[in-house]
Amino acid sequence: MTGTVGPDDVDHTEHRDDVVRETAAHHRGRGRLAVAALVALVVGVLGTLWVVQVRSSPPSDFGADAGFARDMQTHHAQAVEMAFLVRDRTEDEEVRTVAYDIITSQQQQAGQMFGWLVQWGLNQTGSRPPMAWVGGEHAAAHARPDGSMPGMATPEQLAELKAATGVEAERIFLRLMIEHHAGGVAMAQAAQDDARTPAVRTLAGAIAAAQTSEIQLLQQMLDARS
Amino acid sequence: MSKSSRPQGGARAGRSKVDELRQAQRAKERRSRFILIGAVSAVVLLIAGIVGFTVYNDVSNRPTLDAVKTYEVTRDHTTDPVTYAQTPPVGGNHSPTWLNCGVYTEPVENELAVHALEHGAVWVTYRPDLPADQVEKLTESIPDTYMVLSPYEGLPGPVVASAWGTQLVLTGADDRRLTEFIQKYRQGAQTPEPGAACTGGSDGDLPPTSG
Repeated sequence: MTGTVGPDDVDHTEHRDDVVRETAAHHRGRGRLAVAALVALVVGVLGTLWVVQVRSSPPSDFGADAGFARDMQTHHAQAVEMAFLVRDRTEDEEVRTVAYDIITSQQQQAGQMFGWLVQWGLNQTGSRPPMAWVGGEHAAAHARPDGSMPGMATPEQLAELKAATGVEAERIFLRLMIEHHAGGVAMAQAAQDDARTPAVRTLAGAIAAAQTSEIQLLQQMLDARS
Repeated sequence: MSKSSRPQGGARAGRSKVDELRQAQRAKERRSRFILIGAVSAVVLLIAGIVGFTVYNDVSNRPTLDAVKTYEVTRDHTTDPVTYAQTPPVGGNHSPTWLNCGVYTEPVENELAVHALEHGAVWVTYRPDLPADQVEKLTESIPDTYMVLSPYEGLPGPVVASAWGTQLVLTGADDRRLTEFIQKYRQGAQTPEPGAACTGGSDGDLPPTSG
């Protein structure tokens, strides 16, 4: 009897223990599930808030929007400078008109870019070198080996233009401006693809189209003077 | 009931053995849970500590612009020589012509440079005896446009950065605050005429006086 009661008793206890343990495990499992669900919920909510926040917040200091707005202001400023130089050095109406067109349109576009940066609360001067905002796939828009933006005239080329007059100045201007526009188109195409602000992509597209078409005109004018 | 309250030796021994094992098992589980919690806590604390230290270090080592001085200045055009309150001037009446931006190796006219400041340029001046390698470093570290670099006699420091209505005395070309100053003030919010040209003006010659 003792031999049977003992193990029987133990069996019962063990069985009870198993049930208790199973129930506990069951509770623990449900508890874990609840914690996991809560964590997932919190992560999901925070993630959504983050995306909304990023989407609605102004562009970053390092992105394509700010980079384009800064670099294209500098790029445009040189086009304006060269157009003024040629207007002071020739009487040719065709060249003077295209120069007038470049001065007014590019100065106005530079003003738009200035205004964007003010609205975004960003400095006009970035902390990174020119063209650092351009992605790898836009090789034509990368900075040149000397660190300058694509299409920019060198100080020596500007000095050459300053020293010339008449048709010689016209030829130098047309050559430099074709190169300048080609670089500008590459920059604008990079911004058209990479900027996230619709207004930036729109202006970049307009610049790419206008300068692409103007390159044809400048080339015809250069051919006529060669 | 009474039977089970006094169980036989063998069963009792078996049960206490099982209990012992169970207890040992539980203790082991508890121990490994403590170790796990302890390890996770340690890793979390370590990461928090590293992040905290890095942020603190970054913030405390970041160059500040606290030493920047600001001034109220006038901005009329004049062809007469002007006496300026600051050295070098940060604003005030100035020539109708502006100084073209760029690197100058000789001192430039105050009346021209002040007009460039009005258009959003930052003017970096250095003592004429600044070592050549420091001048070279300044030349390389500044942006290509809306910047003027020139030597200047009688500066309050080896290098001084000025923008319209603002000035910062620097310890030299290596002073990290120069970059911060340029980022904030070149075409900055204090500029009276942002986007006005820094080209097409004068390369150094004052226009003839009207008198």
